[in-house]
Amino acid sequence: MAETDAAADPDGRLAAIWAGLDVAPNGILVWGDDRRLLYVNDRFRKTCDLPASVGMTYDAFVSAMARSHECFLPCEPEEWEREEIADFGVEKQRDYLFATGAVMQVTHAPSRLGGMTVTFTDVTAIKRNETALQLAKEAAEATDEAKSRFLRAANHDLRQPLASLKILIYNCIREPIEEHRSDMLHAMGVAVSIMEDLLGALLQIGQLDAGRIQPRITSFQLSQLFERLDIQFRHQAEEKALRLKFVAPRGTIATDRALLERILSNFVANAIRFTEVGGVVVGCRREGKSLRIEVVDTGRGVRPEDRERVFDEFYRATEERRMQKSGLGLGLNIVKRLAELLEHPVRLRSELGKGSIFSVTVPLGNIWHSEAGREVEISEAVAGEFVGTPVILVEDDDILRETMTQLLRRWGIDVHAAADESEAIRLVEGGVTPQLIVADYNLKTRTGVDVVEGVRQAIGAATPAMIVTADAEPRVLEGIRAAGLPVLVKPVSPPRLRVLMHNLLFEPSLTKLSGR
Amino acid sequence: MAASQDVVPIGSMIPLTGPSAADGAEFRKGMILAVEELNARGGLLGRPIRPIFADTCRQTAEEVVGAARWLIEKHQVHAIVNGYNIGPQNSEYEPIADAGIIYVHANTLLQHHDTVMSDPERYFGCFMADPADYWYGPGFIKFISWLRDSGQWTPNSDRLAIISGSKPYSIVIANAMAAAAADFGWRLCFGPKIVQTPTSQWRDVLDEVRATNPAVIANTHFYAGDLAHFQRQFSEKPMDCIVYLQYGAMHRTFTDIAQEAAVGVIVSSVIGLLRDEMGKRFEARYNARFGEGSTATIGCQSYSNMHHYAVAAAMAGGSGPPGDFEQNRKVAFALKGMIYRSVHGTIRYHPDWQAVVPYPVVTHDPSLGMPHIFYQIQDFRKPLSMIAPEPYNTERFVYPPWMSGRGTAVRPAAPGNPRGLTGL
Repeated sequence: MAETDAAADPDGRLAAIWAGLDVAPNGILVWGDDRRLLYVNDRFRKTCDLPASVGMTYDAFVSAMARSHECFLPCEPEEWEREEIADFGVEKQRDYLFATGAVMQVTHAPSRLGGMTVTFTDVTAIKRNETALQLAKEAAEATDEAKSRFLRAANHDLRQPLASLKILIYNCIREPIEEHRSDMLHAMGVAVSIMEDLLGALLQIGQLDAGRIQPRITSFQLSQLFERLDIQFRHQAEEKALRLKFVAPRGTIATDRALLERILSNFVANAIRFTEVGGVVVGCRREGKSLRIEVVDTGRGVRPEDRERVFDEFYRATEERRMQKSGLGLGLNIVKRLAELLEHPVRLRSELGKGSIFSVTVPLGNIWHSEAGREVEISEAVAGEFVGTPVILVEDDDILRETMTQLLRRWGIDVHAAADESEAIRLVEGGVTPQLIVADYNLKTRTGVDVVEGVRQAIGAATPAMIVTADAEPRVLEGIRAAGLPVLVKPVSPPRLRVLMHNLLFEPSLTKLSGR
Repeated sequence: MAASQDVVPIGSMIPLTGPSAADGAEFRKGMILAVEELNARGGLLGRPIRPIFADTCRQTAEEVVGAARWLIEKHQVHAIVNGYNIGPQNSEYEPIADAGIIYVHANTLLQHHDTVMSDPERYFGCFMADPADYWYGPGFIKFISWLRDSGQWTPNSDRLAIISGSKPYSIVIANAMAAAAADFGWRLCFGPKIVQTPTSQWRDVLDEVRATNPAVIANTHFYAGDLAHFQRQFSEKPMDCIVYLQYGAMHRTFTDIAQEAAVGVIVSSVIGLLRDEMGKRFEARYNARFGEGSTATIGCQSYSNMHHYAVAAAMAGGSGPPGDFEQNRKVAFALKGMIYRSVHGTIRYHPDWQAVVPYPVVTHDPSLGMPHIFYQIQDFRKPLSMIAPEPYNTERFVYPPWMSGRGTAVRPAAPGNPRGLTGL
């Protein structure tokens, strides 16, 4: 509209209006009753790559738009073109997806002078939100449906122990014989623990369904995990006189440690539950860049027709239901969900009456990235040279004894603190065999030198020892040294104490150098 | 007077005499080269830097503390920058913390973490520019497991023997190895046994180890000469196992004494010159300045520490003399915040430890940690072969000549994997 001449717009008001319309949030096209373009704003030119120049006919514009490939048309271009041309001056609204990915809402509004205004409004963000909302709604409905189905099943399983519990409580109240009552209480305990397991499993599945479990993939040594499983299940296997063996694997795997542990503990728990004779072996096989972890049992096996269904919620084989086993039918379903989350294939091979092999295949990891040791934060308390060294500390001042104990513990020392000689001797008699004795000199009744002598006699060995003293009197220090004991003057500097302790424990020949 | 005020005095506590004098000479050269380079470019914000060396002799607590006091009281140094001193056990931190100056060292001691974390305000200026000794343990266990799992070496068993020297450094490393072993499928069959060091007599302990028939022997003592005697005595009646010797076997002294017996030995360092372009250019400058007999891989420690300190002090607007806590806190802040790629890898201080983080044991990102480098002596007349970790390695592991029935032949590398490494 730059050509608007000064004569037609003497005070510039029209130019100001055009300028204002140029920055309107929509693209605007104004067509006259002769179907020619009267006005197009800047916004249209900036947002739509379509030819529009003042004076062009509406038909030419529609024809250009149909052939531009700039937007997706709802039907064939010719058909669309015909319809649009016919609809000049008809009020209507339609969304178009443009090649840029933007969604434009195109609105036709007839004017009272026989023309028409067409606006192009960017509704991309609104459409995106609508789609997201729609998806979320569908997902929520699906989850809701699954939950309802799941709760119906859970309700059924929860009712059984609850019913037993009610009967047991009722009977227990009336039961006069102590022994019978105790049996019933035990049975009640079992029923409660079944409900507890069930609720725990429900919670896990609930979290999985809600997408609240985010795997944290790290590289680690499988042997660490086997050790934990061994501790967890050894007792259960022994109770059933089953052999439980973990074949220590070599190699690094990359997965979520905690989630894999849940998968394997479900496998092992099942294997023990359904095996009466023989045992359970947990081992691995390399498969290309993966490791297959297998739990092999000598149990009753799974029927071919049941092999898929064992992974379903609350699935239990019919005989199992009859036998009222304590299984919940959720363990393998949790395994399935976890394995899907981790994208680890799970397999079952089985021979009826001979046993089953449940396996999960995990990717191998980079050994250099493997988490080393159990401590992420290392300190002297876990890795220093004095870790686990038993030391007897004799100090009669409560505060000093406490601060000294704290300092030594920070270095990983196994501190046994005593307020006086008799307490120290009691520690030795109670089984403490110190590698070092640290004694205060000015104890209430005896000197530190005497105490060291006494404690050494109780131990029956010339255990290395040192004296700390607040008394810097040269005569006193000489006396201590004459007794063959190194001495530090209070306040004790931690580095000096450390050097002296190191020398006494590991390099006795250096004691004379650093003890002074 | 005005001229001397313009100079920035920087102390360096170095064993110029005593058992570590060979390293000390290189630390001194590294400082000299760094200061010459810095001064040629205008010094520290226009002020020339003057290095002042204090001899720490046998590196006992008394000697190192004495050196720190002398530098602070007599020379009013703004910082103490050096390589390592084994022995003071952090007692030198006290006069340094009292003076409020910056201290950058490569003591490789776990105690540094505890001391700094026990009172971060007091020890704000104390920095350890290499990873703690502890990391040698898990790093070594991962290394031998990597050799095993990648098929480069087939051990005859899972048995591991550990011999330790009697210094805290050796004991900490030996314990850390022992602690990590089982997780990676190794069984401790001997030790960690602490041998009183220094010593050149290893036959008794070698006999004890031999009775346990290990697949790996690690000796965490670190004096080059002692280790050379160990290796010679091992060679008299070798076992079918990998031999790992701590740090000192990197030195020329080691190969000078051990000669052919040295071939096949594995050694590692959590700090060492890299063989990339940066490292090679540094080595050329170093040798041009100090002669071909110099050991740039040792000298690079004090060299990098000095450069890093100078950049940090410039960022902070200058250095501070003893007592100027405020200025030195600014320098410490800059040191802590700046990731500095030195000629021996990345210096990045852990925010709490104020110590460098090792790669790959702690960080898996080589741009954020200092590489724990594994070398093998493959020809005792030539430089050590750098066999791990990626991406810094330049050679691959070969079977040591003493290994039974397997000869010295290099195993064929996997196709498309010319360096014989996995995960490429």
